[in-house]
Amino acid sequence: MKELEKLLDRIIQRININLRELDFDITPFVKTLIPLNQMVKFYAFYGITPNHPLDLVFRHSSLAGSYFLGKIRTRNSILYKTDIRGDELKQQGDVFHYQKFKIPITRDEGIDIEDSFLIKTLVHNFSHDPETLEKFFIRDTFSALGANIHGAPSDGCYLGPLATVDLTTMRDCVIGTYSYVQAGEIGHLNIGAGTVWVRSPGSFNFLYHHPLDKLDHYINFVASRPPQGLFIDFVEDREEAFQRVFDVVNLDSPVSVPPTTSLDRYAVIKPKTRIGENVLISQRAYLQNSSLGKGANAQEDCYIINSRLEGFNVTAHGAKIIEADMGKNIFVGFNSFLRGQAKSRLTIGEESIVMPHTIIDIKKPLTIPPGQLVWGMITNKQELEANSISLKEFSRIDTSLKKGNLYFEGNGAAFVTAFRERIHHILEANGAFFDGKKNRGHAQKNQNISFNTIQPYPDGALQGLYPAIVIQP
Amino acid sequence: MSEFCVKELMVPLSEYASVPEGSTLFEAVLALEKAQEEFDHTKYKHRAVLILDKKKRVIGKLGQMDVLRALEPKDEDPGQVNELSRFDFSANFIHKMQAQRRMTAAPLKDLCSKATQLKVEDFMQAPSEGEFIDQEASLEMAVMQLVHGHHLGLLVTRNKEIIGVLRMTDAFAAVFHTMKECEL
Repeated sequence: MKELEKLLDRIIQRININLRELDFDITPFVKTLIPLNQMVKFYAFYGITPNHPLDLVFRHSSLAGSYFLGKIRTRNSILYKTDIRGDELKQQGDVFHYQKFKIPITRDEGIDIEDSFLIKTLVHNFSHDPETLEKFFIRDTFSALGANIHGAPSDGCYLGPLATVDLTTMRDCVIGTYSYVQAGEIGHLNIGAGTVWVRSPGSFNFLYHHPLDKLDHYINFVASRPPQGLFIDFVEDREEAFQRVFDVVNLDSPVSVPPTTSLDRYAVIKPKTRIGENVLISQRAYLQNSSLGKGANAQEDCYIINSRLEGFNVTAHGAKIIEADMGKNIFVGFNSFLRGQAKSRLTIGEESIVMPHTIIDIKKPLTIPPGQLVWGMITNKQELEANSISLKEFSRIDTSLKKGNLYFEGNGAAFVTAFRERIHHILEANGAFFDGKKNRGHAQKNQNISFNTIQPYPDGALQGLYPAIVIQP
Repeated sequence: MSEFCVKELMVPLSEYASVPEGSTLFEAVLALEKAQEEFDHTKYKHRAVLILDKKKRVIGKLGQMDVLRALEPKDEDPGQVNELSRFDFSANFIHKMQAQRRMTAAPLKDLCSKATQLKVEDFMQAPSEGEFIDQEASLEMAVMQLVHGHHLGLLVTRNKEIIGVLRMTDAFAAVFHTMKECEL
């Protein structure tokens, strides 16, 4: 295992060099997080489909429990139970629109991971950086469990537990625990825990800070100690259910699945779950006693328990919905946590947008009317009033808004339009609008995936590392 | 430029307003007022108070800006508004938020009444590296340090011991005097 230990030290050193300006040392956060002997316990696996490129190159890397689909390179990196989902990468011949530019894509885009350590992280989407359209790079970067690197090239960065960077190129940045950033391009920034920041330069700027004393109850991460809090306990309590789907080679589908729907074989489906047409259920999703109407989706690391989703619902990566009734066309952003109680259900009206990294955790029944924008931390009706606004009213903002911990500057209508267009795009990409002929998306394309497994050296100096592997058609 | 040296221009430590560590903000302001009454070398008044430890060594300086900052309203998260520029909010927006915050905070009179409870150590500025100057240094050297360090005054040393303060006003008066001599 000496080589793996050396590799970890090398990665830590490289990231620390990048973050020296911020005076941020990742060593105490990273060193003991995953004992390296874990890296030999889990196989890595990759998907083969006729719909996606197959171009995988792994060199001097450890890949325990990680999943790969599409065109991906790893070099000098450690990936632990991480999903690298390359099913939305740009293809040769595509044209990328950026401001007044129409940029032709000259070769298939690839995800390129070098000198990085990713733990239980999701990497998805494509590079939105017009300067690096064919390479979605992740270099000298550490990300902790539950992090999402979504269309976000990264160089010299630290992402804390459950941090999300979305459609943003970042260099030499620290993204704190449970922070969400969608800001175009950022550099040399230390973003504190619990920050939700959505910026479109020249158009709008949305900033919210979770109250840290309350956020600690859900997730907290300090040096030399594993992440703690309700979010961690919630996932750990259900970890065993995933053991079976990873251990058994041939699994029968536990529920009836319409032919236009995709249920990933690495998802957990518990009894009394009903799944409609054009639904996408991704790997590591967990569904229990719930119904998903036509065109809904449950993305990676989502948990939907004792809930009803009427249809065309987006449940983004890492979101959790428990004891809730959700109308049609509701967007629930990354890593949100929505929890009602068996006798105090959470009801959300149609066409509402729940911002990424929102926490709704109630003891008494709570109803959110249709067409609302919801953010922040909500445990009762008063907090809902402070942390929500109707989308109609929000669209009327033309200069600024300060509401509770939320600061907003710019054009409210532009913000709402941007979100609505994105939600439509997500549904479209996921195949929610498939009519039997047109609008095929992930729900239709991802149905027939073959999975192959690969294993590391079991012992010796190279224990835990994978040999150089090239997988191509 | 001139033949002035720092020790000829400085205010000796004994004449400068000072308070021992542990003093309150109100005691510091009283000391400043007293020093201004007693000190009449120039029409310019003292604008800072030195904080001394038990051995009478200077451990910090409390300027007028520090006093005003100490009386800023404290809400649940005072850093939040000040942090907005880091997140690319416009200067107009930040000013608007600061004004809103000020309007909803306690009146200035209430905040001033708390000055008897606030300790100077919590608001003073510890001397920085470029803030010291030897008593034998020239006026040119002093001007350079004031300009490049954006300081309002320099701490004058003899054998590493602080013996006085060279204020910007003293340096400026000397420069002005030299200018007039050149004119003649």
